Amino acid sequence: MTNESTNEDPTRPAFAGENRTRTAKESAIKWFLFACAALSVFVTLAIVATLLFDAVEFFTRVSPVAFFTGTTWSPKIGESFGVLPLVSNTLAVTVLSALVAIPVGTASAAYLSEYATERTRSVLKPALEVLAGIPTVVYGFFALVYVTPALRAVGVPVGTFNLLSASLMVGVMIIPMVSSLSEDAMSAVPDSLRQGAYGLGATKFEVTTTVVIPASISGVFSSFILALSRAIGETMIVVVAAGMSPQLVPSPFDSVQPMTSAMVQLSTSDLAGGTAAYYALFAIGLTLFVITFSMNVASNWVASRYREEYE
Amino acid sequence: MATERSTDGESWYGTDEGVNQLRGRLFEWGCLGAMLFGIAMVFALLAYVALDAIRPLTADPGWHLVFFLTLVAPTTALVGYYARRDRQAGWVGATATALPAFCLLVGSGVALLLVEVVQPIEWFGTTLALLVAAGIVYAHRRFRARPAEFERTLVAVATLAFAVVGVPGAIPSLSRLLQNAPLALNHATMMLYSFAAPVAILAGVVVARRRESRRDGGVAAVLTFVGGVLAVVTAPTVGISDHLLVVVGLSVAVPTALYVEAVVRRRDNLAGLALPVVAYAGMFVGAAAVAALGFAGPEAWLDWQFLTRAHSRFAEEAGIYPALVGSIMMMLVVVVSAFPVGVAAALYLEEYAPDGGTAGRVVGLIETNIANLAGVPSVVYGLLGLALFIRYADMNTGSVVVGGLTVGLLILPIVIISSQEAVRAVPDSMRRASYGMGATKWQTVRNVVLPEALPGILTGSILAFGRAIGETAPLLMIGAAAVVFSPPSSFTEKFSAMPRQIFAWSHEPAGEFRYGVLAAGVITLLVVLLSMNAAAILVRNKYQRRS
Amino acid sequence: MRDTDRPTTESRRRFLAGAGALGAAALSGCIGENGGGSSGNGTDSDATETTDGVSGDVTITGSSTVYPVSVAMAEEFERDNEAVDISVDSTGTGGGFENHFCPGNADINGASRPITEAEEENCAENDVDPRQFQIASDALTVVVNTGADWVDSVTFDDLAQIWGPDGAERWSDVRDDWPDQPLELYGPASTSGTFDWFTENVVGEAGSHRQDYEATEDDNNIIAGVEGSENAIGYLGFAYYQENSDRVKAPDVAEEDAANAVAPSLENAQTGDYPMARPLFIYPAAGSIREKDQVYEFLQFYIEQSETDIVSDIGYVPSNADLRDENLDTLDQIRNE
Repeated sequence: MTNESTNEDPTRPAFAGENRTRTAKESAIKWFLFACAALSVFVTLAIVATLLFDAVEFFTRVSPVAFFTGTTWSPKIGESFGVLPLVSNTLAVTVLSALVAIPVGTASAAYLSEYATERTRSVLKPALEVLAGIPTVVYGFFALVYVTPALRAVGVPVGTFNLLSASLMVGVMIIPMVSSLSEDAMSAVPDSLRQGAYGLGATKFEVTTTVVIPASISGVFSSFILALSRAIGETMIVVVAAGMSPQLVPSPFDSVQPMTSAMVQLSTSDLAGGTAAYYALFAIGLTLFVITFSMNVASNWVASRYREEYE
Repeated sequence: MATERSTDGESWYGTDEGVNQLRGRLFEWGCLGAMLFGIAMVFALLAYVALDAIRPLTADPGWHLVFFLTLVAPTTALVGYYARRDRQAGWVGATATALPAFCLLVGSGVALLLVEVVQPIEWFGTTLALLVAAGIVYAHRRFRARPAEFERTLVAVATLAFAVVGVPGAIPSLSRLLQNAPLALNHATMMLYSFAAPVAILAGVVVARRRESRRDGGVAAVLTFVGGVLAVVTAPTVGISDHLLVVVGLSVAVPTALYVEAVVRRRDNLAGLALPVVAYAGMFVGAAAVAALGFAGPEAWLDWQFLTRAHSRFAEEAGIYPALVGSIMMMLVVVVSAFPVGVAAALYLEEYAPDGGTAGRVVGLIETNIANLAGVPSVVYGLLGLALFIRYADMNTGSVVVGGLTVGLLILPIVIISSQEAVRAVPDSMRRASYGMGATKWQTVRNVVLPEALPGILTGSILAFGRAIGETAPLLMIGAAAVVFSPPSSFTEKFSAMPRQIFAWSHEPAGEFRYGVLAAGVITLLVVLLSMNAAAILVRNKYQRRS
Repeated sequence: MRDTDRPTTESRRRFLAGAGALGAAALSGCIGENGGGSSGNGTDSDATETTDGVSGDVTITGSSTVYPVSVAMAEEFERDNEAVDISVDSTGTGGGFENHFCPGNADINGASRPITEAEEENCAENDVDPRQFQIASDALTVVVNTGADWVDSVTFDDLAQIWGPDGAERWSDVRDDWPDQPLELYGPASTSGTFDWFTENVVGEAGSHRQDYEATEDDNNIIAGVEGSENAIGYLGFAYYQENSDRVKAPDVAEEDAANAVAPSLENAQTGDYPMARPLFIYPAAGSIREKDQVYEFLQFYIEQSETDIVSDIGYVPSNADLRDENLDTLDQIRNE
């Protein structure tokens, strides 16, 4: 039996009786696993390449300045490709959905982590996860068929396609993201901090608001950013329920067109392929990708920079 | 602790008169209220959809009354009893009731595949060939003294390949030979040999291990096989083809029987077994009663016609069957492609990846990259699929393979991240113990880390698969058809999936599509999804309780 | 500490391995069978009637306007030809040509406008030869509020004045006898084929259209908007008007002289009297017609049925007997090339 053991990993003791075949096999396995992990890098590169290739084609026909600073989006009438209305509509959806998701999500996280008993938790947590499990096209259907008539019945003057129902459903969809990530962050706050505060005579409310939430703020903020980036990239809810007219200054009662909806419309409409309007699809996709990517990086940065290390 | 002590002045923990609890109470109730608001809204919407799909109010009052008496009242009474007196028995009862329903879903899925994709003869040939291959490998190990590992792997791989694929162009595979053999077997016999028999052997092995008695195992195996024969015999009365009934019947009966056997053997919470009996008996009695008394059930949009028909421009005749089969086939591709790659990547990142130096930084970059990919919008993945698989690799547009691979790419980061969490949660002491016994890294990972992390991996992956089954935007981009009239019979054919069909229906002008057919489609999708989520949660709960 | 009845690691792994192997084998068996078994299910005991026993796939993509017609034709054809797998996708005219038809992945592309030169070149580069068949028309309808009794007919000139780039602000700007009220406008979105045809043929120039109007993809919105205000006017496809003819009014339309105005109806459009009927096309690939029997049979069926009630039930204008015969001849010609 040969004794040529190559010991690359110092934590692993060298064994007598180790043979070449086994090490070769270990090596092969390690490289195979590495390839699987490196696949993700390949995917990112492929996405960037796909988008960039045709976006560049677009920018040879429409100047980037006109694209990024133009205030009218009408690919057919007058061929103006200003992306600002689309961005503004995306922002509108995101802000409105944040108004729903952030309070509800943080409150749920606070309740689940601080106040709920084991029994209540075992019922409420799965219930929240149901919200996360519903497909987005179903949320879009809900917005179109149930929420809009309900809003009308209450007296809100919404059109068939409107910003309000769509953002409401987007908000409801991202509540579980906010709540579960924030709850993880809050539960990670060590109990000693809480006990210390109680020892000083604080009430439960004061402990939650002045000790736990500030201590877990980095995790909570990073959950906000992640949820918002999901809202920005949300496609089907807005395609089904928000309509197709981009407005630079959107009104909650009328139809709007966020970036994702514009992308879907461009690829499924009667536009001729090979025109600038068709390639605009990729330019918008590139913009969207850059925005969501930077938000995720920002979320990581916030989490790591402001995370408090205990013990 | 804050108490009602008077102090000399105000401080941040209270005023002179003691502590005002109002603020705290309001906050607590406010938080609870906010959470319940979100949950209640979604459940209300779900109830609306269910009402639109099933339309229970169109049924005769007599129908309602009969089912109330036979099903609803006894079951509710029993559940109330469990809630008050015997909670453990209640959980056992709930599991025993839900298990057959869930297995019915899974079994129907497998049966659907048998109907549309794999012919019974193909299944028969492949299974038998696999058994022969397994036998050869076993015999090789038995009779060859201490073979080298290399030789073992070679023999295993070679026999497997020969059995299933053969040498392309030269020698037909064993599976193909068996299929063309002049055996005049009908479908039922084929399924009995190639499905019932292996399942019987499996059940027998499990029971033998549990009860530590070979005889009991043998009895279980024989009973299972007899059950298969029973299914064939009773098929004409039930109205389903016999070979399908074997599959569905055994899928439902075997896991339920195994679970009941476990409960009975432990003599624990036997009272819980009353619940499924009451529930299912009540259902059957109620159905028989309404049939005898002639009460009309609800004119539901979601009925058997809907589940077995294809799309039609007439709302009453529209159905979701091809989309359902398409979704199942797509999920197979997703699972086979995303699950192994995701788990492998997670294993590398947690077990093998170096920590420091430039290599460590590269790995850190990979991890950040994966986290960012998880947040990329689904429509961008659709564009990626279009460019990569259809344009570059020249696969068939809108085929099951392309759809599955695209959606697989979408959920890959999620699978990786959740598997990483699960592997990270394995205590280091177990790894060190394994090293201490002289195992190599791969042996440790395979025998210690992976089994320990498997429940967590499964939970996260099942949730990811749930997300995959509901994705629409990527399918739009890669050209999954809005309407197909028959399910795809191979993986390279054009297909439609449930969410894609639902989206197509939402554009129909007729109101009945929007409020009726669409609701039925949504409920079908939700049933599949929520059962997947429930399975994931059950797996997690079971293994969390254990640890 | 382990429960004795919990399956051990060893047996659990074996089970998983076995299940995985079975699954993989089943999959590989399917893929290896290239094309899978027959398309039908093995439980079908009734003999299915097939005409000439055609089987195979037909892939249809294209305009969302032609989509309902293709779906209806496919559904009817499938009744008697169960072995043919027809898939219909609503990708949009341009998307269909660019992504599916010209790369050779679709047999038929529905179009609500004629194919452009660029698209023809694109197809030619991939050896795909599209041929045009007009199978129906969509009668564009102008709708006004039921209380707008001052307007019984409009001419193209009126419409151009209302909808052109510097459109009129008030009704009286267009015709003196119309009231001095502001115009409220509802119309289809600029990416739709209806918009294209309207600007090109009524306003006079492609893409020439005012921007300050309520654009929507859902024609129900146009109906709802016009119904809600006396001063509203809109235009949309006939199908939606037909379904809601009790909620809005459709004035007669004339191309030049108001005296010759014709009411919007399927009959008038079919005879050619009604001037605002935009043609709907399908573009099959000549190669598919020649090489695939099922495409040829399906197209024959499609053309034959294109002048029947199937089309008018959807709300489009059926083709007429002359056009149908002409199309059938062309089809046979292509087949025998």
